[in-house]
Amino acid sequence: MISEQGRILESLLSGAFICQISDEDGWRFLKTSGNSDKIEGQLNMLNRTLASAAEGEVFYAAYQTLGDNERKVLTSQFQDISSHLVPLVEWLLLVQQASGTDVPVTQGTALRLAEIQLTIEDTPAFAEQLAKISHYKLFGSTSVSVDGQIKQVFKRLTDLGYMLRPNQDKQIFIATGKVEYLYEVIKFIDETESLSLSEQADSAVQQGSLI
Amino acid sequence: MNQNLHQAGVKLLNALSRHADLLMQVYLSGTVDESKFSPKVIDSLVQMGILWRPDADADLRLKNVVRQLLEGSLHDERNRQIDANIGSALKGLKTLADHYKEALQHQRFTEANAHLSDLTEHVYALTESLENNVRVLFSRINNEFGYVSSIDAKIRENQLAQSQVSELLGELEMFQFDELSEIAASNRELRHLLIVTLQHSFSRVTQELSIVQARLLSLLGRFRELRGRTRLLKGFLLHMEHSPSFVPVNYCGLTQVPMLFNQAEAVIKAAAVDVTRVEHEQDLQKLVSAIKTLNRPQKSYQPERAAHQIHVEKQSEVEFAEDKLKKAVEGYFCQVIDTGERLTALEYYQQHELAFDTEAWLYQVIGGYQGLTSEEQSYFAIEQSGEPHPVYNGNFIIRDVELGLR
Repeated sequence: MISEQGRILESLLSGAFICQISDEDGWRFLKTSGNSDKIEGQLNMLNRTLASAAEGEVFYAAYQTLGDNERKVLTSQFQDISSHLVPLVEWLLLVQQASGTDVPVTQGTALRLAEIQLTIEDTPAFAEQLAKISHYKLFGSTSVSVDGQIKQVFKRLTDLGYMLRPNQDKQIFIATGKVEYLYEVIKFIDETESLSLSEQADSAVQQGSLI
Repeated sequence: MNQNLHQAGVKLLNALSRHADLLMQVYLSGTVDESKFSPKVIDSLVQMGILWRPDADADLRLKNVVRQLLEGSLHDERNRQIDANIGSALKGLKTLADHYKEALQHQRFTEANAHLSDLTEHVYALTESLENNVRVLFSRINNEFGYVSSIDAKIRENQLAQSQVSELLGELEMFQFDELSEIAASNRELRHLLIVTLQHSFSRVTQELSIVQARLLSLLGRFRELRGRTRLLKGFLLHMEHSPSFVPVNYCGLTQVPMLFNQAEAVIKAAAVDVTRVEHEQDLQKLVSAIKTLNRPQKSYQPERAAHQIHVEKQSEVEFAEDKLKKAVEGYFCQVIDTGERLTALEYYQQHELAFDTEAWLYQVIGGYQGLTSEEQSYFAIEQSGEPHPVYNGNFIIRDVELGLR
């Protein structure tokens, strides 16, 4: 029998993000003080360290010391992440608008595919937006129907770990902590590049209201 | 007087129930559609003080008391009013208590009783309104201001609720129990009403209000965070629209790579089963049972299966030897018919010096007989002569067949 610690170590080493949605037991285990130190010691043996993001909502394994090889890996990962940003952000905004509650998707948000699909099909602007999003390389849909596009998008998001499908018989998806990680990445870019994104959005809204 | 009041109240309640449909419609839509209902009904409702016209040109509306009754009983979340006027209610209570005490001093007991029941009513009304206010606040928190859709509106509603809570708390400070206990003095009924009941409700309400305040603050924080996130996403998209060539600096080239982008590669690969460990036996057996035997032998070149040409020719005619045999049998049958005498098959065979094998001949004769229709069979009589097999029981060896007419 594998112990809880071993199970978590394994999923960390296989590159998983541990959050309250994807693995609640593991997340609580890591949250408990003392447990993370044990894991940390074992990770250090493999030049890994336990990292957390989004105020401790997600845990993952990071490199302890960086050599040339590690930097290469990180660079290619970073290029992936930064190229995924636009499609993911557009998708998040589309879902937020289509669900009609004005609440952004956060960890634990449940998305019902059928409901979103219905709204998108009824609104040509949303359908156009979805077609644009689903044809990004990240999602890679070739379908012309809303049905095919939205299913492909959800499938890719589940593959990438942003969504979880708790029941395989139902088209209900739950956003994982990786979504929080995504927000964190955007926040980080915003701060380091001093883009002042929120102010841009605000001023755009005010200009819009003047017109 | 009392009888009249009773009758008038029953009449009013009857009117309410009789026109329940109209009233609910007014409650939901806000105003009366006067074209839909008869003017007589509307007039009577106006006279009873259920509907009123705020302005000469304005539409008829529901009286506020009726609306409050409906809101309170239906737990309608549109009810966002908080009655925080505790000060005047308290003053009323004090006055009534004074009346009561005075009546007691002058030994006017019926009057005192009336004052006491009045006071009871007011105390309970005050506690009820306090509890109602808290309930209204809680119901708004519990559905997270679900009656407005945008986050900005939710933030505004939250701020309104917070100001109401602080107002309520300010009013609650007006409860001065030392003063109340002075008024109640040693009177048991008054002490019970003014101190026990009010204090009970006071402590409960203050406790709940502090919870409400904490919940409102955390909700406000969440709403602000959500709004911040939406702004962040929208701002990012706007920025990408303005400068499509924007690419963030590769932070992984920095000497201090931020932890956010330091994400180790997966190192674990699937483990294998250890065949020498006994405790793995069960798993191994499962694995073995899952193996499928795929038997696909490599076939060597088979020349006979290779494609080759097929010549189609006209088939030469084949003459069957049985034809002769059959004809001979027919001849035998015909001779029996012609002569009308019994004749064994072997006798006929010898007479005509036939060249077939005798066994085949006998078989053919029997077969020829069996091959006739049952009607034709009935003209002939056939009899086999022979003996049972000497060694094996059940077998009968036919030596000859005799055929005759019936």
